[in-house]
Amino acid sequence: MIARIKARTRQRGRDLAGWMEERTGLISIMEKMLYEPTPKRGKWLYTLGSATLFLITLQFLTGILLLFYYVPSTDEAWDSIYYIMNEAYFGQYVRGIHFWSANVLLLVIGLHMMRTFLSGSYKPPREMNWVVGVFLILIVTILAFTGYALRWDMEGFYAWEVGMKIASYTPLIGDWMVTLLLGGDTAGPATLSRVFAIHVWLLPAALAPLIGIHLFLLRKHGEYGAPFEYSERLAKLRRSRQKRQYLEEVDEESGTGGE
Amino acid sequence: MAEELQKDPMSRGQFLYLGAVGTGIGVVLTVPSVIYVLSPSIKSVLLEESDVPEEWKELGSVFEIPPEEPKVHLVEFDQRQTFDSGQPGAVREGDNVGVITNAVLVSWEDGKLPSLLENRSEEEPLESAEIGELTRKLNVMNNACAHMGCPVRWSAEEKEILCPCHGGIYDINGKHTGGPPPHGLWNYTFEIREDGTIYVKHDMHVKTEPGEKPYVV
Repeated sequence: MIARIKARTRQRGRDLAGWMEERTGLISIMEKMLYEPTPKRGKWLYTLGSATLFLITLQFLTGILLLFYYVPSTDEAWDSIYYIMNEAYFGQYVRGIHFWSANVLLLVIGLHMMRTFLSGSYKPPREMNWVVGVFLILIVTILAFTGYALRWDMEGFYAWEVGMKIASYTPLIGDWMVTLLLGGDTAGPATLSRVFAIHVWLLPAALAPLIGIHLFLLRKHGEYGAPFEYSERLAKLRRSRQKRQYLEEVDEESGTGGE
Repeated sequence: MAEELQKDPMSRGQFLYLGAVGTGIGVVLTVPSVIYVLSPSIKSVLLEESDVPEEWKELGSVFEIPPEEPKVHLVEFDQRQTFDSGQPGAVREGDNVGVITNAVLVSWEDGKLPSLLENRSEEEPLESAEIGELTRKLNVMNNACAHMGCPVRWSAEEKEILCPCHGGIYDINGKHTGGPPPHGLWNYTFEIREDGTIYVKHDMHVKTEPGEKPYVV
């Protein structure tokens, strides 16, 4: 009896998967996306990129949750965060995840970049993925900085102010930069609105497609350091060395014969 | 011959038409949005408008300023940014919106009380020569550090104005004496009236660096 139910359920599942595959190609897409051979060497170092992706996903999710309570105005911003931290159920938990995963994110991105650099994974044909990664780290840094200002407490406010002063030293367009970011020539409600727009809409919207491109390029070229990559390169190197050696020998022989 | 060389079936007219239409659509999409985002910069940099209207704000009396240390006043200036606080009824009464608060440090030159103020009654109106003398000896400074804009404070032990962020040091006149700031504190445009009251405008300048703006404050 139980065996029959088991068999039937399995058959139903298979039918459903087949139905889905026929219409969306979901199963083959998932197979292509999920099964990426990684080199045996390195092991845990290859999880840093996945860790970054996981933390960014956490940022998106908890960020959306924070938006349910956060009020982007100079009068209410700090109070709304106080409310999240003290009144809203699990508010501390949600904001804590947003805060700490942002901190850890920057650390993990640094490690990920270091791994890529030290293992030489930026070399051909993967240069473009390094370039995209540099844009990603820039965006994440600005996200962290704008998030700091959104708190609108003394620390966040003066960190932003110092940032504005640094921007004002930009050659030629310093005045334009600082007034663009302040929304005027003084800090006020327009400043917070701009920081909010940049942190919540502009940069995440820029980040998401770049993450897509980053992953697409990874899948296109595979992880660096796979055994076949090494063996192919080594074979090529050996062949070219043999050829050079042979040519040198031929050269020497012909050289002596000529005398 | 020429037609054979032209592998692309597109004619020159078609190409130009496509280019013109593309440019038109591009301009319509980008130019208004860029100007929209840049409008505060255009107002501030090109038109030299400020968020803060030029108005005299009362600061306090010259008789209240002690010797040897600056007195700190908090002054609220009207501020127009995302909404127009000048419109009556546009902003709810009692709301602290449309206002920017400045901390103003006021001190006597080198911390010495001017001799004409000694044993002088506050009842008597000041004469214009006395006002001129006091104006020369009064420092009316903004508390934003000239380096990165952090709020500076007077340290009674050190007898100096100190910045908490990167260690900028100023003397009682707001003159830069140490640390990273490129120049002294910003001075307000101010005037002393006959009853001894100081009035300030949200207009700051540094004697040595004309044209530079403090921003934020």
